[in-house]
Amino acid sequence: MTSAVSTFSASGEDAITRTIELNIDPSNTQNIAPSDFLEIYEIERTVAAIVEGDFKRIALQFPDELLCHSVPIYRLLKNKAGEGHDIYVLADTSYGSCCVDEVAAQHVDADLIVHYGHACLSQPSRLPVVYVFGKKPIDVDDCINQLGQCLTTQLQQNTPSNSNNRLSILLRYDVGYSCYADVIAHRLESELQSLNTRVLHDPLPTRLDPKTAMQIPQTAEQTCAESDDDSLKSVIIAYIGGESLNLTNLLITHSHCEVYAYDPSTRSAQLQSHRTNKLLMRRFAMVQRARDADVFGILVGTLGVTSYLSLIAHVRKLLARAQKKSYTISVGKLNPAKLANFMEIECFILIACPENSVIDAKEFLRPIITPFELEVALQAEGTWSGRYVLDFEKLLASDSETDLGSAAEDSGGDPDEPTFSLVTGKYRQAKRYAGDSKASTEGTSAALTLRNQDGALSKLADSAAALFLHSRSYQGLEAKIGEDSPSVLEQGRSGIARGYSDDHS
Amino acid sequence: MDKPTNIRNMSVIAHVDHGKSTLTDSLVSKAGIIAAAKAGDMRFTDTRDDEKERGTEFLINLIDSPGHVDFSSEVTAALRVTDGALVVVDCIEGVCVQTETVLRQALTERIKPVVIINKVDRALLELQVSKEDLYQSFQRTIETVNVIVSTYHDAALGDVQVYPDKGTVAFGSGLHGWAFTLRQFAGRYAKKFGVPKDKLLAKLWGDNFFNPATRKWGTKSSDADGKPLERSFNMFVLEPIFKIFDAVMNFKKDQIGPICEKLDVKLTSDEQDLEGKALLKVVMRKFLPAGDSLLEMIIINLPSPATAQRYRVETLYEGPMDDESAIGIRDCDPKAPLVLYVSKMVPTSDKGRFYAFGRVFSGTVRSGPKIRIQGPNFVPGKKDDLFIKSIQRTVLMMGRYIEPIEDCPAGNICGLVGIDQFLLKSGTLTTSETAHNMRVMKFSVSPVVQVAVEVKNAADLPKLVEGLKRLSKSDPCVQAWIADTGEHIVAGAGELHLEICLKDLQEDHAGVPLKISDPVVGYCETVKAESSIVALSKSQNKHNRLYAKAMPLDEELTKAIEAGTVNSRDDYKARARILADDFSWDVTDARKIWCFGPDTTGPNLLVDVTKGVQYLNEIKDSCVAAFQWATKEGVCAEEHMRGIRFNILDVTLHADAIHRGGGQIIPTCRRVCYAACLLATPGLQEPVYLVEIQCPENAIGGIYSVLNRRRGQVFSEEQRPGTPMFTVKAYLPVNESFGFNSDLRSQTAGQAFPQCVFDHWEIMNGSPLDKGSKIEELVRGIRTRKGLKPEIPALDHYYDKL
Repeated sequence: MTSAVSTFSASGEDAITRTIELNIDPSNTQNIAPSDFLEIYEIERTVAAIVEGDFKRIALQFPDELLCHSVPIYRLLKNKAGEGHDIYVLADTSYGSCCVDEVAAQHVDADLIVHYGHACLSQPSRLPVVYVFGKKPIDVDDCINQLGQCLTTQLQQNTPSNSNNRLSILLRYDVGYSCYADVIAHRLESELQSLNTRVLHDPLPTRLDPKTAMQIPQTAEQTCAESDDDSLKSVIIAYIGGESLNLTNLLITHSHCEVYAYDPSTRSAQLQSHRTNKLLMRRFAMVQRARDADVFGILVGTLGVTSYLSLIAHVRKLLARAQKKSYTISVGKLNPAKLANFMEIECFILIACPENSVIDAKEFLRPIITPFELEVALQAEGTWSGRYVLDFEKLLASDSETDLGSAAEDSGGDPDEPTFSLVTGKYRQAKRYAGDSKASTEGTSAALTLRNQDGALSKLADSAAALFLHSRSYQGLEAKIGEDSPSVLEQGRSGIARGYSDDHS
Repeated sequence: MDKPTNIRNMSVIAHVDHGKSTLTDSLVSKAGIIAAAKAGDMRFTDTRDDEKERGTEFLINLIDSPGHVDFSSEVTAALRVTDGALVVVDCIEGVCVQTETVLRQALTERIKPVVIINKVDRALLELQVSKEDLYQSFQRTIETVNVIVSTYHDAALGDVQVYPDKGTVAFGSGLHGWAFTLRQFAGRYAKKFGVPKDKLLAKLWGDNFFNPATRKWGTKSSDADGKPLERSFNMFVLEPIFKIFDAVMNFKKDQIGPICEKLDVKLTSDEQDLEGKALLKVVMRKFLPAGDSLLEMIIINLPSPATAQRYRVETLYEGPMDDESAIGIRDCDPKAPLVLYVSKMVPTSDKGRFYAFGRVFSGTVRSGPKIRIQGPNFVPGKKDDLFIKSIQRTVLMMGRYIEPIEDCPAGNICGLVGIDQFLLKSGTLTTSETAHNMRVMKFSVSPVVQVAVEVKNAADLPKLVEGLKRLSKSDPCVQAWIADTGEHIVAGAGELHLEICLKDLQEDHAGVPLKISDPVVGYCETVKAESSIVALSKSQNKHNRLYAKAMPLDEELTKAIEAGTVNSRDDYKARARILADDFSWDVTDARKIWCFGPDTTGPNLLVDVTKGVQYLNEIKDSCVAAFQWATKEGVCAEEHMRGIRFNILDVTLHADAIHRGGGQIIPTCRRVCYAACLLATPGLQEPVYLVEIQCPENAIGGIYSVLNRRRGQVFSEEQRPGTPMFTVKAYLPVNESFGFNSDLRSQTAGQAFPQCVFDHWEIMNGSPLDKGSKIEELVRGIRTRKGLKPEIPALDHYYDKL
């Protein structure tokens, strides 16, 4: 009997012994002596937060590469916090590990999440979160030196004519270096004293509560934007951290600023802004492809970021107004195989935290764009100011402004007129999936439906999926009764998918 | 206009600088559109204009077309709407590359040619050739034309070789405004000798000799006594012309009067006072007026729409030959359903709007009623690329003048207002719901040279997009698109073509300053051998496997696919027959071609050679989608693939349908294609121009040194008999052609004039996989430009081990 079972399922030993590749950042704190745990993982602060808020069930969320430290941390926390606090370690996350996984935390009915490692610091929607960023090693002296040199040469080259205007330098950094931010900001300011500059930076929040949305403290970026309105263009951004999505996003959302980055692992500082234009142009090409699509898929890529639901609703509304068809899909972490199952969808819109939104979809069959890019794509021909927004709140806010304008512009022009597609260089006629209420009432009525030549009921007025099915050569099982002789039973394959017993070479 | 038998639609085609436009003018001047005095001095039709002219009872629609090879696509658009072509050949330079290209194109469109050998005055005045030499040179030129014509034997069109003794060859000088066919001389002498005109016509060309002593015709060049006889052509045709030239140019005043009298040429007193070339012009023009002889030639020899459409319908119409549209076209019936082909868009004075210029093949077009506008992707029975709209206005287009007309019946050429927003470049208009498309035009040039354009000021971007749209509308050949990197790419036939397009774009269509990159060439990816082992890729869930091999496709077949003779839209059985008969394919394989790619029509094939694989039909759609993707972005440099056949050898699929869905198969099929390519010695193909250079002997050295430096290969070098001019023909990689013209000019002191026309794709030496090779460097360059990793992905990226 046992042998019979093994033909259908393996023992599972393979799955356990299999090693999974991890994207381990070498700069991460891998080999930490247990004695340093207290300091690096800020156990004291965490415990204080737990005790203070009197949280009963606490979920600890680790990225994959830090899971190995979860047990010692758990023990330390458990010891310090004392009785009455249940602590859980969450397994892998459904989306990006930078996002707080509220859904997983809710499985244990937690009332606080402690998030370790790299974080995107998106506003959580349900639970309070305590962030522990860890401390990445950095040579502060070298950093000040290198950045100082870069900035001085830059500033000396184009000294502003009206020198009474103080130049602002905005300090941004990878969350892993947040503990050094204050020190670096101060020292950098004194280093550049002679040049009449100020260095601004936001201390990153170490704790976010779901309802603080209204009272977010003003960030340094906003302060300097307000103090001298249009001078934001003259702000220079200094970034500390290696090549990452974070840096890329910083570049494309601040295309008008110069960005210098200091990479602690290579110990070098460089001007990064020259890449910005290229990055934006790539996204622009993506927008053009989106412009050619009629059927959209809204990919839910987060369940944690606040107001993601209103954004999804907003995107749906946008698409309906443009008479495009939309489907809403949740597939967890994205991969080409998952998305290629939806062949009829011509373009995906990813609703995710800012860090995971911008996906270069080389391996994907269809383009994946952000909600902001969708807005651009649905606008009239080629309006792209170079501005780029990833933040949900800003998107929703700007929506109320555009609402009025777009309603008016709809009227002009022949609705059938084809548009010039930049992707193919040809004319393209958009399909329209009108979501009119008229159509839906007709559908529900008992009206007769036409039978087509094949004798099948055809009611395809508005269905993208049905249209797609018609374009396929294979449309499901064809009952060829009596046409094919029954085939002889054959021995099938045995083994598991990664190595069948009868594999041919 | 209402009598199709009295209409002639013709185009004038020639190599650049063969005097086409001057000649057109003398034709047009005959009808009085421009004053006769100006013809020849003012070039009227050098742009892509068209002329419309009324004979006494005939209506001749004449379309002049540009002579530069880069603009061949314009000629194609002109050929489509005409039935006959006047081929202008320079009597000194002979048949050149553009003449040949366009003539071939005319023949595939079933357009009947007549030839005029132009610039005869130069041969007489500058080269001072003898009569016999001139005859020989004429004879050679006509032979070259006929060699080209005879390769296109087409039963429906009949014999369209040209013969002077049938009146299909004229000789003349556009500049001086004179021309003749043998018909004129036959007419003259028929009266004199009292012989029937037709009989005499045949005697005036070839080895026919007249013995004045015996007054007998013979075919030997000497009489019974061995005394040489003069060829009849020289004696009866060239003699009077030579006499006039001699008398006028050598100021033999006393001889001019008698000659004129003899030839029935009456000069006014003003004209009698003229001297030299001016007098020559007058005399010759009165003796042999170009307009008359050419019009006669056109009217007698070129077919009317009623005649031409009878045999052209098969090549013009895609649908069955017995539907109402086909019958309407065949009969050129103004009462049948409308079928109109728009061959190009002509800019109007209203910026951004265009006249749709085309020919009514059947029915009558008028403003008002709704018509069906079918774009190139229209498929009968479907709604793609179909618009139902009405025409706002119908106009006649006469050069720069536009004249509104009520309606336009079958057989005519006209312009339409109000449909330009529905068609990009060309399309079919019809009133029949069952009508198929008119066949799309095949261009002899391809857009192989690309530049990236960028706006200097980001706010101008919308204007650039609009400008690109207008540009691709107004030029039949140019293409514009956006690359993955976000660059706007404009592709044209050659450097000059692009230069002019970009100038139009900057100054006219977009009207904004642009940054323009250096030109680059589009390459094609191919394979040089069969995959060394079977490529295998597994799906992400490991449950599905595809086994495939890549191998080169016959160059012949590749070209046939590109030319559309082997077509993805054909019936698969008919196609399999052709593949088996002409390209020695296995019939069963040929029937199992899954698809063509890229864009479902390209020259790469995906063939199912599996045996007894279950559920295979289910994954076909996924494989087709993946194949389009893979062939569009090849594995080496993400250039299009060309000339690759992929055999799917075996497939293992999961028994459960959900595990073999598109998501599993599409990425896998793409990967297996890439793996198969990497295993099959990938190579690159580069576009190659055929260059033809006319130059005097002393410039040849310079030409060779320039060509050598640019990897050019000379394959023919001929002296044009009777002249000091040489014609050098060579292959030149397009990539090396940038700056070729100016380089050549400086090396030859401006004596050499090259014409480049895209000829073929040539496989490059070496493989991009060879480390350190030139071609690897090239691929790295392309990849970097496209923002990819410079290295070609390794095989194990796509190939899965068992």
